[in-house]
Amino acid sequence: MRYLIATALAALALHGAPAVAAEQGVTDTEILIGEVDPFTGPPALLGKAHSSGLKLAFAEANEAGVNGRKIKMISEDDGYVTARTLQGLRKVIDVDKVFSVVGISGSGQSIAAMPVLEKSGVPTIISSAPVSQIFEPARKNVFALGQVYTQGIKELTAFLADKFPGKKWGIVTQDDDYGLLVREGFDTIVKAKKLNVVYSGSYKKGQTDFASDMLRLKESGAEVFLAGGIISENVAMIKEMEKLAFKPAVGIFWPGRIEVVLKLAGPASDGLYAVDYVEPLAGPAGKAFVEQAKKHLTEAEMKGINRYTEAGYAAGRVLVEAFRKCGKALTRDCAISEIEKTKDLQTGVMAPISFGAGKRFSDQKVQIMQADFATLSYKPVK
Amino acid sequence: MRLFADLVASGIAIGAIYGLIAMGFAVIYKATGLANFAQGEMSMIVAYVAWTISTTLTGNVFVVVAGSIVFAVLLGLAVERFIMRPMLGEPIFSTVLVTIGVAVVLRSLITLVWDAYPHALNLGVGRDVVKMASVSLRGAQIASILTLLAVMGAFYLFFRFSKIGVAMRAVAADDRTALLMGVSAARIHAIAWGCSSAIAGIAGVLFALVYDLSPAMFQLGLKSFPASILGGLDSVIGSGFGGILIGVAENLAGGYVGSGLKDVAGFLMIIVILMVQPFGLFGEREIVRV
Repeated sequence: MRYLIATALAALALHGAPAVAAEQGVTDTEILIGEVDPFTGPPALLGKAHSSGLKLAFAEANEAGVNGRKIKMISEDDGYVTARTLQGLRKVIDVDKVFSVVGISGSGQSIAAMPVLEKSGVPTIISSAPVSQIFEPARKNVFALGQVYTQGIKELTAFLADKFPGKKWGIVTQDDDYGLLVREGFDTIVKAKKLNVVYSGSYKKGQTDFASDMLRLKESGAEVFLAGGIISENVAMIKEMEKLAFKPAVGIFWPGRIEVVLKLAGPASDGLYAVDYVEPLAGPAGKAFVEQAKKHLTEAEMKGINRYTEAGYAAGRVLVEAFRKCGKALTRDCAISEIEKTKDLQTGVMAPISFGAGKRFSDQKVQIMQADFATLSYKPVK
Repeated sequence: MRLFADLVASGIAIGAIYGLIAMGFAVIYKATGLANFAQGEMSMIVAYVAWTISTTLTGNVFVVVAGSIVFAVLLGLAVERFIMRPMLGEPIFSTVLVTIGVAVVLRSLITLVWDAYPHALNLGVGRDVVKMASVSLRGAQIASILTLLAVMGAFYLFFRFSKIGVAMRAVAADDRTALLMGVSAARIHAIAWGCSSAIAGIAGVLFALVYDLSPAMFQLGLKSFPASILGGLDSVIGSGFGGILIGVAENLAGGYVGSGLKDVAGFLMIIVILMVQPFGLFGEREIVRV
């Protein structure tokens, strides 16, 4: 009898003993990753391209597997609407139970997502639109990969100021948080280099007709112009300047540095200056990336390849490397610790990536490039 | 003076496109008493169809324009027959909400059927810059102005001299009496939707020739509705004129006051004019016997 009771108690103890808690989103065969990006509406060309980059990084990793596991990505469309970003994020974290999150739409959406991400504790990489509010203050589980808008604009403005000394300047920016960041970077260099700004305008998101803006810019006598639009707006401004036979030196910023801008703007886009932290697709590194992408992306995805594909690919690579280093015992803490230890990771699409203890921003090096309409590409400026 | 002339010319050019779409709003309102909030989206869909024809079948400008107009008419008729006609007799609020639903569906179709990339509608015409004195306009902008004038003229003649035009005015004035006189309201509604969609489509194609195609093109409808209110929602020709006024006001405000005021200039104008003329500049004053 005593033996029976002892056996029963032992069995109960064994059965009732808490098992080692399985990490959310990780099984013996699979690692679930969640992505929230815009796949509908005008920003879809950025979201889809970013998603293709992630897909490529995970497809490459899945060829050999990540410590016996395959990575599966669950993508949610937010249509570039913040409320839907939060909804999508909660879905991938709470319903799909992903292990890690990557992407997060635009800068405003990423900032709004911070409380949800911080509370969830999932290892996160923000690679679509990194801004300082994401890594200042540093959050344990959130990493920003890329460069901030203000720094990019500072470097572009400083480059143009040195190239065209003593010239008159003009700027047009979007009337939102993105525009404010562009203007902040621009104003810093204007003050530092005492630039002569003769025209400063802004427009509401969605504006298509820039006739009055470009007429005023021309009247102001501006010789160097910073077109602070994204895609359609920059195209409209460039075409309007062409119509007015007005040819200042023009600088554009990376959110709109995609090849389709050159095609749409036509010959007037030749010679545009741009700044970016990812490699131009027409350069040797970019060409190699395109070749690499052909193995895993569909024809439609290849058509949509642009700088955001490279940004997504780099983010995917950081995650894969961290997961690999964690070995079979993949936990959130381990993944966060390994992302933090990322040192000079070569992805081929941007400068080597590094984070560090308490450093949640990779602070990528930027380069200046120039548009070549004949080949519909951007080439680095030596 | 040169700046003023440039601003006015560019304002007339964009205003002509607003005007065409505004006329579409007015045609439906005149015949059905309904504001179609999917007007901008219909314009966008037709422009995308024009682009598809030009890139897959032929780039011949006449074929593309004719094909787009045929598609636009069919789209208008289909929306009327399958979506709006079943709503006849339902509260006006519900019917207007249905048009908003149609707008959202059409907007989503762009990325489902086509893609999110902006595209150039290249028909080999309309992109050249034409210089007249100090003013520079693209060929397609001049075509927009001429098209607006032609459509305004055509509608004047249509409402005044054609049997269907007179019937449409009769339905708008009193649909029950018109019905007793043998006018088929359903037929008139269908014709109105077909015409409105065709005008919106033409505007969409002209807009795409000047500014390219993008999924954000539907916003044209939001810009054009105020033009229709300004000209008079029941005045087709007045709505066309309202478009020109909005376009010029936007450009003058943007050119002389500041770009921040460009988007609100048209609305400020509407507030002022509607306070004096509550039915718009050319709208019919509603007289109610008491």
